[in-house]
Amino acid sequence: MRIVAVIPAYNEENRVHAAVADVARFVDAVIVIDDGSSDNTVSEAEKAGAYVLIHPVNRGQGAAIQTGTDYALDVLDADIIVHFDADGQMSGEDIKSIIQPIIEGSADVVLGSRFLGLKSNMPFGRLITNRLSWLFTLLVSGIKVTDAHNGFRAFGRHAAEEIRITLNRMAHASEILDQIKVRKLRYVERPVSIKYSSETLAKGQSFFNGFTVLKDYFKAKFLG
Amino acid sequence: MLFQAILIVFALFAIAKTSKMYKQQKVSVYWFMVWTFFWLVVITVSIWPTTTDIVAGWVGVEKGADLLSYSAIVVLFYAMYRVMAGQERQNKELTDLVRKIAIMEAKKPGSRGENK
Repeated sequence: MRIVAVIPAYNEENRVHAAVADVARFVDAVIVIDDGSSDNTVSEAEKAGAYVLIHPVNRGQGAAIQTGTDYALDVLDADIIVHFDADGQMSGEDIKSIIQPIIEGSADVVLGSRFLGLKSNMPFGRLITNRLSWLFTLLVSGIKVTDAHNGFRAFGRHAAEEIRITLNRMAHASEILDQIKVRKLRYVERPVSIKYSSETLAKGQSFFNGFTVLKDYFKAKFLG
Repeated sequence: MLFQAILIVFALFAIAKTSKMYKQQKVSVYWFMVWTFFWLVVITVSIWPTTTDIVAGWVGVEKGADLLSYSAIVVLFYAMYRVMAGQERQNKELTDLVRKIAIMEAKKPGSRGENK
């Protein structure tokens, strides 16, 4: 089975090399999608031995993931695609457990969760935002997961072909869950550990970004 | 009276401008007709304001001025919807283009070969 990791990156010159090296131990190929960075993310990802796809202008994390997925399916002929972050918060060690249900054939999609036992130093503000997004997903998508906005996921080839991300920015996480439900894909959750640092927290999602996610999600629903 | 005069002059100016753009092939015949019709209606209403009361009576609104206000709000909301939908479509097209460029110009791992 050919396992390919897809890593969207935006201005991650200090962290992307380590993230690629970490993931490369557990997959057959790593794709980094540079989303219009203004720093040395591209050269760092190249040095680390990744396939590098460059968005000439910033299109958002959702768009970058879809670009990587297209390349993984059409060019690298991937059987399993793993979504991973470039900021060093995730651990490559978790890839083994996250792809296992797909290898066994018991799931089409495996979603990482920070709330299934593994320790995480998630700050309180982030926890509140996460719980609100969990509630929102349950009400709108009708899908019950413990961690609605975790970027660590794995897809079997069939699921990756079925799901098409159209929301360019952070609302893509809700869109993926929507499509899992609509396309009746089998999904399970697996615990993953996420380590937060002051640097990644400064760059990551804030409570107010949650409103942007909601706006993008509903805008797409009304404007198609 | 002054307001009516200003409105008529402005409408005539708009028709002249649209007509010029149509001759220069900057707008389609469809848009030329739509805009010309719209400004002709504005001129008609400016000269005979009570005509709006007649139309208002047909649709069940008391005063012509109220009908104009309601219609303007509906038209503006619809125009805004169209602009937003168009912007969204352009956004998607830009993303598709960016994606194609990224895939076409993919950088493969150099001497290191594929990661194992």
